[in-house]
Amino acid sequence: MRKKLLSMLLVGAMASSFVACGQPNTANTESGNASSGDGTATSSVTLLNGKPEIDAQLQDLAALYKEETGNELIVQTIGGDTNASDELKKMKAAGNMPDIFVIEANQASSWDGLLADLAGESWTDKTEFELVDDSMGTIGFPYTVEATALGYNADVLTAAGIDPSTLTSPAAYKEAFETLDSKKDELGLKAVLGWCAEPSNLGWSSGTHVFAQYLDAGLAADDTTYIDLLNDGGQVDHDRMLAFAEFVGMMNQYSDPDLLVDGTYDEQVAGFKAGEYAFITQGNWCVTSPDDVDFECGFAPYAFEDGIDTIIAGPPSYWVAYSEGNVDGAKAFFDWCAGDSAQNILVNDAGLVSPFDDCQYEAVNPFYSSMKSYIDAGKFSGWHTMLKKDGLQNQTCQVFADYAQGKLDAESFTTTMEQVIADYYAN
Amino acid sequence: MKIKEKTSKVVAKMVVAIIIAIYVLFPFFLVVVNCCKTTDDITANPIGFNGVSFSNFIQNLTDVINNTHFQFWPAFFTSVVVTVLSLVLLALFGAMAAWVICRNKTKWSAVIYFTFIASMIIPFQVVMLPLISSFKDVGNFIGIPMIQSIPGLVFAYLGFGGAMTVFILNGFIKGIPMELEEAASIDGCSPEQTFFIVIFPLLKPVITTITILNGMWIWNDYLLPSILLQQNGPVKTLPVAVQAFVGSYVKQWNLILGAAFLAIIPILILFFFAQKQIMDGMIEGAVKG
Amino acid sequence: MGEFSAKRKIFSFGTMIIGIALMVAGLFMAITLTDFLGIRGELIIAGCILFFVGLYFFPTLKHHRGIINFMFLFPLLFAFVVTVIFPLFIGIGYSFTDWDGITVNKGVGFGNYQRMFGEAQFMWSVLITFLFVIINIILVNLVAFLLALLCTSKLKGLGFFRAAYFVPNLIGGIVLGYIWQFIFSKVITEILNSQASMLVETKTAFIGIVMVYVWQYAGYIMLIYITGLNTVPGDIIEASSIDGANALQTLFKIKIPMIAPTITICTFLTLTSAFKQFDVNLSLTNGTGSVTFMGKYLSKGTSMLAHNIYETAFVNNEYAYGEAKAVFFFIVLAIVSIIQVRVSNKREVEL
Repeated sequence: MRKKLLSMLLVGAMASSFVACGQPNTANTESGNASSGDGTATSSVTLLNGKPEIDAQLQDLAALYKEETGNELIVQTIGGDTNASDELKKMKAAGNMPDIFVIEANQASSWDGLLADLAGESWTDKTEFELVDDSMGTIGFPYTVEATALGYNADVLTAAGIDPSTLTSPAAYKEAFETLDSKKDELGLKAVLGWCAEPSNLGWSSGTHVFAQYLDAGLAADDTTYIDLLNDGGQVDHDRMLAFAEFVGMMNQYSDPDLLVDGTYDEQVAGFKAGEYAFITQGNWCVTSPDDVDFECGFAPYAFEDGIDTIIAGPPSYWVAYSEGNVDGAKAFFDWCAGDSAQNILVNDAGLVSPFDDCQYEAVNPFYSSMKSYIDAGKFSGWHTMLKKDGLQNQTCQVFADYAQGKLDAESFTTTMEQVIADYYAN
Repeated sequence: MKIKEKTSKVVAKMVVAIIIAIYVLFPFFLVVVNCCKTTDDITANPIGFNGVSFSNFIQNLTDVINNTHFQFWPAFFTSVVVTVLSLVLLALFGAMAAWVICRNKTKWSAVIYFTFIASMIIPFQVVMLPLISSFKDVGNFIGIPMIQSIPGLVFAYLGFGGAMTVFILNGFIKGIPMELEEAASIDGCSPEQTFFIVIFPLLKPVITTITILNGMWIWNDYLLPSILLQQNGPVKTLPVAVQAFVGSYVKQWNLILGAAFLAIIPILILFFFAQKQIMDGMIEGAVKG
Repeated sequence: MGEFSAKRKIFSFGTMIIGIALMVAGLFMAITLTDFLGIRGELIIAGCILFFVGLYFFPTLKHHRGIINFMFLFPLLFAFVVTVIFPLFIGIGYSFTDWDGITVNKGVGFGNYQRMFGEAQFMWSVLITFLFVIINIILVNLVAFLLALLCTSKLKGLGFFRAAYFVPNLIGGIVLGYIWQFIFSKVITEILNSQASMLVETKTAFIGIVMVYVWQYAGYIMLIYITGLNTVPGDIIEASSIDGANALQTLFKIKIPMIAPTITICTFLTLTSAFKQFDVNLSLTNGTGSVTFMGKYLSKGTSMLAHNIYETAFVNNEYAYGEAKAVFFFIVLAIVSIIQVRVSNKREVEL
């Protein structure tokens, strides 16, 4: 009898341990994924967002989507220091892809054959900013238009007697920087520029956005001269890079030294918002609401060569639909998202700039009027920096950092840049 | 004269000991102090007590706990569930396996034992990449997700922790006299009864040791859960949540240190109550391993 | 066989057959990709349990011990094989291909292995990993030994000091890394009144990683030395002091030789753990820092071996290449372990 009882106990113990192992997954199967083939309801769509700063607004968007259409949108957010594309690779390996996710234009090829063609959707008629790929068709939904250049505090420039529209040559900048530097105290400035070349957290800023100016500044939006050169085995136009290097050198010289080498994005933006910097090396995303600043904002071009007078504007990234996911759900969401109620949230709450012609909302972004004037005048260049080889910014940001620390001069910055880029493309 | 020299020596040693203790504990002090401040106060003075207030502390902690990327409570419970389940199963299955290996003098058990020992030098990096795809395939095949799921992670800990657990247990079981088992067998115990009634209770001290060793490892482990659960998956352990939180947000030190505070406080509380056992367990493990 | 009731035989065979049937049904669903009610996984597990129940009651005396042995070994061994052994061999196989994490197109022979020895960044990672290991073996053991001496002398509050020195070891590398990032970039700059954190410069960042590592690890190694020192019999020390040996002589002539096995253990522990260092590397510097090596400018000057493998696979998406590096890592560790075992065996013989 005793033997039997014990045996039962033993079997029970083993069985329960197995069950313990198996049980929690019933709850997880649902949240599992769409690609595993277990029938996911067509009404539920997951979206992987790469902009942590608009996470809360996207959650509102999801709530509204549910309220208006009854369909569910699950928003997951990664970004900031975490690279969305790295994370997506892991998700892909794990077979756990979201239905909609964010990509940059150069990443399209690594998803070859896996993105749904969105051609013919009604929203494509209302914008010229959708992402079109030669082999996959219309794949990217533009959810925002962003601009990057040298953001400035117009009130400070006016007080110092500088007309931003004259800032179209290195000489003009030199003069302006010198003037501002000499009047720092009376203007309440900590430094002329809020520029940060710290590599481990802000590598995207120097390695992608500032680097973008080398690729595109002064070029027409569809001019791909330097990106084509770069993508042809990592070639660099030496003269242009040198001129760019000299301009960056001037930025290093006039930037807040506390920020330059070891700052954070927060400190950089906070300094600009507080009026401590006349210029900031970020785009329109750094100040999203007019309540954040009590001065006028505007953009000036990175005029490292005479006559450069464009800013970079366009969608820096797109939402795409995973072709093995819930494509119909994604299309339905995009269609709704281009409509009035969704644009209301994206423009007015999230502070994005709408890429759609029929959008009735004026963006609240303090940089908007400056952006619009450049776009209307056709003086904008493309975001071709997003077409450079994936991961290049992780290498080049260190060169910016060394330059900022004074380990390199303009000439050695240029040659180092050439070597690093060539090596990266050679691999 | 001699006595005097001795006291001065003792005082000198005491001072050295205190200075080192301050150095070692200073980072913890900084964490606590700075999660009671606002970002501005931290930037202004990261060391002093300026701007320290209890309301800031509560504010920072609630901000962190409610943050959509961190989600402290779910992460905490995931960590607890994963750690406890893994530890219980490792102790049970490990003891069972070690007993069989130790008491069977066959070629097979020698091979299995040697494989376990040899596997301890395999760096995780070698198996990490194929692990994801094989777990995914197995999960899809049997219809129970192994990736982004607690059972999958516990299963992985069983596999990775097995070798050391068996090794330490084996060393202990070897020292238990065979006569005990023979006597039990004569009394009519079946092998499984012998194990659960006679042997298993004797293993208590060594099971404490392996539980502490494995517990410290599993609770703090980052790489394995970050790969199997992923940073933005539905389930996260505490270290993964900390990394996801810090990684997805721009640097706000008051919040980051708040997250660090929340991540270290459970284990510090545990250490406070089970200091001796934890330290002894770590020593045992090192000396045996 | 007569001693088993017919009931038990039926029960045993019945459950085993049902168990096998359930498993086959589950596997059939898995293969044909039809998933009736979405329970194929549960079916397989239930079948497995039933099979074991049946096996347990299998009417045999002769083989009962064998059945129990099998049932006792199975759970752990199964997990071990699936998580360690299979991936190990699959991984080694993949390292000879162009695997990108999803598909394998073609084999590349030893291409990946040849390539890594020509990659300046990787060779740099190997170099600084060895440097890191050597520095830490010396530093950690020295610091830990001195702490152990301190903690075995007559002091008030010894328990507190031991616990205090050990505390950093309780905390995981990721959290530690962020705490120290704060200390380096905010606190130390404040104290020294310097502009940039020492993590900015490759050399000082490397020193920073070493500092954090020693801070974390020395307390643990100290505990082991304390145990070792406590095994030195008090009467021998007493005898030596009666013979007129001073403290230093006692230390070098008696204590250190007597704890030689402990030194071996500690050296090995530090060695393997320093080799595998990853978490602190990731959260403290993430590999950044420039360096010129083999005539090349490298942007990941503080990226050590484990971190380099991680970046190769997950950031650059070169899984096969990363796997080849990991296999190389494995070989290095295996060689080091064999040397260590040899050395400690020799030592024990000498003693």
